[in-house]
Amino acid sequence: MNLHVFFKVKDYLMNRAIFVVLVLLVIGIAIADPNFLAFSTLRDILQQSSTRAIIALGAAFILITGGVDLSAGRVVGLTAVISASLLQLDTYANRFFPDLPQLPLWMPIVIGIAAGLVVGLINGIIVAKLHVPPFIATLGTMVAIYGVNSIYFDMDPNNSQPIAGLRKDFTSIGSGSIPLWGDYSIPFIVIIAIAVALICWVIFNKTRLGKNMYAIGGNIQAAHVSGIHVARNIIMIYAIAGALYGLAGVLETARTGGATNNYGNMYELDAIAACVVGGVSTAGGIGTVPGVMAGVLIFGVINYGLTFIGVSAYWQLIIKGLIIVAAVAFDIRKYMAKK
Amino acid sequence: MRKWMYAALAGAVLLTAGCSSDTGGKGQGASGGDGTPKVGVAIYKYDDTFMTGVRNAMQSAAGGKATLDIVDSQNSQPTQNEKVDLFISKKYNAMAINAVDRTAAGVIIDKAQAANIPVVFLNREPMAEDMNKWDKVYYVGAKAEESGTISGQLIVDYWKSHPEADKNGDGKLQYVLLRGEPGHQDAELRSKFSIQAIKDAGIEVEALADDTAMWDRVKGQEKMQAFLAAHGDKIEAVLANNDDMALGAIEALKAAGYFTGDKFIPVVGVDATAPAIQALQDGTLLGTVLNDAKNQGAATVALASVLGKGETPSKENTGYDLIDGKYVWIAYKKITKDNVSEAQ
Repeated sequence: MNLHVFFKVKDYLMNRAIFVVLVLLVIGIAIADPNFLAFSTLRDILQQSSTRAIIALGAAFILITGGVDLSAGRVVGLTAVISASLLQLDTYANRFFPDLPQLPLWMPIVIGIAAGLVVGLINGIIVAKLHVPPFIATLGTMVAIYGVNSIYFDMDPNNSQPIAGLRKDFTSIGSGSIPLWGDYSIPFIVIIAIAVALICWVIFNKTRLGKNMYAIGGNIQAAHVSGIHVARNIIMIYAIAGALYGLAGVLETARTGGATNNYGNMYELDAIAACVVGGVSTAGGIGTVPGVMAGVLIFGVINYGLTFIGVSAYWQLIIKGLIIVAAVAFDIRKYMAKK
Repeated sequence: MRKWMYAALAGAVLLTAGCSSDTGGKGQGASGGDGTPKVGVAIYKYDDTFMTGVRNAMQSAAGGKATLDIVDSQNSQPTQNEKVDLFISKKYNAMAINAVDRTAAGVIIDKAQAANIPVVFLNREPMAEDMNKWDKVYYVGAKAEESGTISGQLIVDYWKSHPEADKNGDGKLQYVLLRGEPGHQDAELRSKFSIQAIKDAGIEVEALADDTAMWDRVKGQEKMQAFLAAHGDKIEAVLANNDDMALGAIEALKAAGYFTGDKFIPVVGVDATAPAIQALQDGTLLGTVLNDAKNQGAATVALASVLGKGETPSKENTGYDLIDGKYVWIAYKKITKDNVSEAQ
């Protein structure tokens, strides 16, 4: 057999292996409890995976450049609080801004996304211009953003009370769905997540920014020598990732109908785990949108399915841990094979 | 090679899922195996000591009344909402929710109402407007202000039976107060009502110091050291919003020579934790206040079980008084050396 074809088949199988694991998981859970195979299960899992998918896509951008972003979860918390504070019903008793008029719905959403984008820009500038390693740069912003968010959240008259009483037109984005037929429906946030994934796919595969991203992650010196403006591309990528976290924070608020400064805590780790399980290399240069989505779905199925069949919360942690380590073991093999 | 590794991984996952579903047999099926109502229980987080007590009390109260499926919300409201979706998918007969964030109850009630599954909230009280959204919403919990009142009364009892407690003989009680986290509802209420209880007993008070120690034992000790440095033996009582801070204060007091010979100072806490019980027995802690986990758990199960059968809870079928038809208030208990066994 032609060696080239052999490697292609192998690669093909490897890319599909993640989906094989996903299918096996579903089969295993369905054997334990056949009720799992219902449309409502699928809808719940997709709905729960939506915000996670958006965060994971943001994390994937940065992982592919060879970086890592620890600030993701805290950005989610920041934009959750900001959007919630601007979207309370004007009849609600404990308003964050008692005299705030009813804003057009898009405005707080855009402000939330913009806040995420600004944090992303700051991350990008620290990494690209100050040459601080991404792990440290984003560790710093992670801690500082939580401080900023807490100050905002503690402002008079809110004084660190959870923000609730959100407008129905906003919460329906998170909890509403488009009816298909009968009992079948598709939640809005699933549609949003799919749209975001499509946009990311286009950026990854069809734009110069995407090609530069892979090049920088693959070999930053080579990218630089071949004329790529490394710093500018890195800053743009961190900004895009920040905007995605911002969107996720806004959606998380819409989904739960409230926000506190603790929202999003540790989400970055879930996002990174989903990425590596989905085949994104922590060494940079490798990763695809469908892979990330599969990684998110695997965790979605684990979270939902294992609780569904009554596996204890502690065992779920052990299983998740095993899957993460096994996936990274692959990642390292891939990286070594590349070398 | 990689295929093998994936296969092994998938196999391990399947195996674990298979094994666990056997051991987790109690959590199976949409109706309880023994015909009792299925109740989905979401605790705000598993590593909270008090809620673990409630959780265990629920388990032991459930026998013959309800089949419980208890899950961990990992201190995250989005996670808890997902667990609620799961309970609804599994068509449980009732839900018991220990909200991560009390203001998020509204969304949970909407979900429950749409699926017509009654909800009992416990320990964290939803807003009144949310409680009034639907008639199948109940609440089991304690009144935080009561824990403050009782800790104040502990000081009152001591003051009235020990004339020597008024060290400087000015008829006023000079106290220091260790508060929990600023803005935390329990911290505010406990502080306010403990002092109020002392005043209500006709005792004049003077605050020598009033500061936060963030619920924390180490910070309680540090703050108490500072108070002692500033006020020394002028302090006649120490009130702490929880036991951890009280125990920290006791360490500082011990270092300053208290609790040896006849040098004593009344210190009170709240929670009746195991270390606090030990301190009660040692004679260092004067008293603490027990948040009654056993009855909170038992009342929640009683309500959920009755609701799961499609009946309306009442004193007769639950054993607990229902205030305004939907609130069950579990009283705090005063714990001293004399009734220590009630808290063990």
